[in-house]
This record gives sequence, structure tokens and C-alpha cells, in this order.
Amino acid sequence: MRAETVLIRLGKAVAVVAILFWSLFPIVFIVSSSLKPGQDIFAVPPQWTFQPTTQHYVTLWTQWGVFFQGLANSAIVTVGATLLAVIASTCAGYVFSRHAARWLELSIVGLIAVRLIPPIVVTLPLFPIVNRLGLADTHLVLIILYATFFVSLGTVLMRTFIDQIPRDLDEAAAIDGASRLTILRRVIVPLAAPGILAVAVFVVVFAWNEFLFAFIFTGTNAKTAPLVISEMIGSIDGVDWGVLFAASTVQLAPVLIFVILMNRYLVAGLTAGATKG
Amino acid sequence: MRKTTFLGVVPLLAPVQLLLLVVVILPSIYVVWLSFHVSSFGQAPEFTGWSNYLRVLSDPAFRGAMWNTVVIVVVAVHLEMLMALGMALLFNSGIPFRRILLVAVLAPYAVSEVVAVAMWRFLFDLDIGPITLLMQGLGLPVLEWSYDPVDATVMIVLLTIWMHLPFTFVILYAARLAMPSDLYEAARIDGATRLQCFWRVTLPLMGPAILVALLFRYIFAFRMFSEVWLLTGGGPARSTEVVAVYLYQEAFSYNAFGTASATALLMVAASLVLASGYIWLLRRQVKNAR
Repeated sequence: MRAETVLIRLGKAVAVVAILFWSLFPIVFIVSSSLKPGQDIFAVPPQWTFQPTTQHYVTLWTQWGVFFQGLANSAIVTVGATLLAVIASTCAGYVFSRHAARWLELSIVGLIAVRLIPPIVVTLPLFPIVNRLGLADTHLVLIILYATFFVSLGTVLMRTFIDQIPRDLDEAAAIDGASRLTILRRVIVPLAAPGILAVAVFVVVFAWNEFLFAFIFTGTNAKTAPLVISEMIGSIDGVDWGVLFAASTVQLAPVLIFVILMNRYLVAGLTAGATKG
Repeated sequence: MRKTTFLGVVPLLAPVQLLLLVVVILPSIYVVWLSFHVSSFGQAPEFTGWSNYLRVLSDPAFRGAMWNTVVIVVVAVHLEMLMALGMALLFNSGIPFRRILLVAVLAPYAVSEVVAVAMWRFLFDLDIGPITLLMQGLGLPVLEWSYDPVDATVMIVLLTIWMHLPFTFVILYAARLAMPSDLYEAARIDGATRLQCFWRVTLPLMGPAILVALLFRYIFAFRMFSEVWLLTGGGPARSTEVVAVYLYQEAFSYNAFGTASATALLMVAASLVLASGYIWLLRRQVKNAR
């Protein structure tokens, strides 16, 4: 009995180490390699002790101005898409939570069905239209696209979260003469904050990291950071791994920290989204 | 409760409905129309019936892409499910530092496809990749992914599992946490072994969560584009193309929007058929097991 529990404990410890290695090794590796002097990146076996250097970051700063422009574009698009998606989803989620009518039920089924359409499908008709409207290579087109692909999930999530707020509260406010919009702003939004954060986490991570839409709809002005990194990977005259790692670290760090800080809301959103939507 | 009047609630619904209508629904209808027409830039579209579909279906490149997609989806989604299930049960069995470990497991969720591909390309680089060198050192075969289609597919599968394991894990772990523990006590009292507990209690009760996670992953894995595009570009010689890459090539490399639209609809149809057929089978099994 005792030997068995020791064995089980050992087995669990091995499993935990394997999970940590699987999840974190690629991330730790890319971040640490970005700080290695040029020749140490390729050392065999990989070097774990090295004199950290900022040389790749300096090269990135001096030679890849376009990357930092890309980061700025990514930030603009992410903030814009998140605001749009959160506001739209909260308004709609409120209606779906507090009102019942046949056409509302139909419309929520439609919302869920829309998620079956892959993003690449809509690029076909949108590509010529966006070009004709002069929206190609603008922040606006990415903001609208990114927000749209999350308003459906966002609405369902917000409905789930708003359902948990007692109806008495908005009825009391309504008796006091508050309008629907006032109730939403003063009563619902503060209490539905965890839901709003859950939706925000999804949109932020998606918009900051997205590749396909940015690849198709932007070229120079609104080019986002992932697109610049993809160009570094594909550059013809050999990949400069050090600079690529530095750029990857800079792109990854903010969103990784964000996910770590918001992990509770991410987990809540994933579970509610999967069971309700 | 305020009365539900159409005019009262429509302004609040409008932003979501407008976005979906303009960006998703109308374009999708247009895709259906396009798929029955021949058109390219600067040319009046012409109705052609089913010919776009026939052309796509008889194109060996499309069949190859469809086959690759199905293989990648089936292999990756199931391996991922097994890993996630094992991890969910491990987490639930009582391990120290659970909260920190959970955050560590979530970390890949934050990594973009582009950065993940950069990692994979370096780790498995044929000349300098640490994992390649490690495998060589241990006398194991290396993944010759830049010219061997099978090895390239293995790379894509590994990458996609790495990126999406956090999602599947969270769904299953939450489902396991939500299960009442008195069921296990009852099973133990009745003399059930650990294995019997797993097959008769854990699996049937987690069934719905497993089905939901599988459904989501089937549908989303079927759309896979960036991983393949950035890792292999569909090469060598179109051998690792998936349906979304084929679609992209048709539309944006060959300007064939008609066949690209037909591909798009076939892609949606195939992912629905695969997902629903599979889920239907599983659901029947879950019911029978109870």
C-alpha cells in the first residue's frame, strides 16, 4: 500500500513536469534565445548559461522600424475591436437576457449558426468590396472584422452573465423612472463586469494575434505586428533568428501577461461559451 | 417587467445584427451566388450551374487538400482530447500548486500562430534545431518536414495540438470539477474499482462536455489556415495543402472566385458532416453506456 502511493506520487510528479515542459518550453526557449549572443543561439547542445545581451533588440529597433509601426497598428486595432465587440455584445446580451419573444429566440439561433461560417469564406466577397470602398489597408476594416467574429460568442456570453443578475434590480430602477439605457449603464454594466472582461479577453487575444484577415486586407499602412513577423520568417536572404526571437518576444509578452492576469475570466468565458453557446 | 416592443429593443440589438448582416450573412449569400457563376476581375459573371463544384471536386489538388484536412483534424483533435482528458483527471486528483499549473497550461493560448510557427521552425530546424539535434543524439529519426510530406503533417499536428490544448483542457477540467463527488463514494461502497469508476461514472458524466469540445474543435480545426500557410506554405509541391489554403490559392493566386466559392461551401459542408456524424455516433455510445 505504501509503496503504491509513493509510486503514484512519482507518476504524478513526472506527469506534471511533462505538462510544464510541453506548455512552457517553446515559450521559455524563444524568450531566452532572444537574449543570447548571436553564436550561442546555435550552440550544440543548447546553452542554458550565457551572457545576456540586448543586441537583437537593438537590431530590431534600428533596422525594423516597420515592426514597431506594426505593434502600434496592432494596438489600435485591438483596442478598437475590443470596444466595439464589448459594447455591441453587452447591449444585445441585455436584450436577450431580459426579454422573451419568438423572433428573439430565432435571432439567437441565427447568432449561434453564424459561428459555423469560417472567416476565410467571407474574405472572398469582402475583398473586392473593401477595395472599392477604399477601406483596404485601414485600421477600420480590421476593427470591424475582428469585432464581428466575436459579437456572436460575446452576446451569448453576456446573456449568460446578465441572467445571473437579479431582475428585481432593473425593475426597481425602472419604477424609479430609469430608461432602458440608464438601467444598462448604471445597473447592468457594473454587475456584469466579469462577463465584460471575459468577452474582452477573447477579443484582445484574437485581435492582437490574428493573421489571416491582416494578411488579406492590409499591406503597408495598417500592417499588424504578426504580419511583420511572418515576413521575417519568410525573408529570402535567410532568417535572422536572433531578431525574429526578439520580435516574437515583444509581440508575445503583453498578451501573455494579459492572459496570466485575466486567467479567471478566460476560464469563466471558455466554460460558459462552450456550454451555452 | 417592461413590455418587449420591437422598437424598444431593436436599437440595442442593432449593432450586433448590423455587423453580422454586413460582414457575415450578406457576404455568405453572395458566396453561394458566386459559386454558381464564372467570374474574375473586370468580367461580367456568367451562370454556370454546378460546373464550379464539378471542377473543384475533380481537381486532384482539392482532393489532396481535403484528405490532408480530414487526416489532420481527426488525428489532432483526438490526440488533443486524450491529452486534455488525462490532464483534467490529473488536476482533479489533487496535485500541489494547481492554480499556478493551470496558468502554465493556459499560456499557449496567448501565443499567436505566427510566433508559434517561428518557435516550431526553429525547434525542428533540420540543421540547427535543438529538438532535431536531440533526436539525432538519441539515435531517433528526425522530422524532415521541409521536404517529407508525412513529417510536415506531423509538425502541423503537433503545432495545432500545442496551440489548442488549453481550450480543450479548460472545458474538460471544468466539467470534471462540476461533477458531484458523492457519486464516487456510492460507487466505491458498491465495490467498484478505479477503472470501473472511470468507465461507468467519469466518462458518461463527462460525455456532454467531451462532445461539445469535440464539436468545437472539429469545426475550428477544419478552418486551419495560418499554421499550414506559415509552416509549409502547402508545400512541398502542394502535398500539405489543407482546404483553406487551397481556397486561398484559388481566390487570391489564380483569381478564380467561382471555384473558390464552391470550395468554401464544400468546406463548410464537409466540416458539418464530419462533426455531426461523429457526434451522433458518440452520443449513441454515451447513451448505451449508461
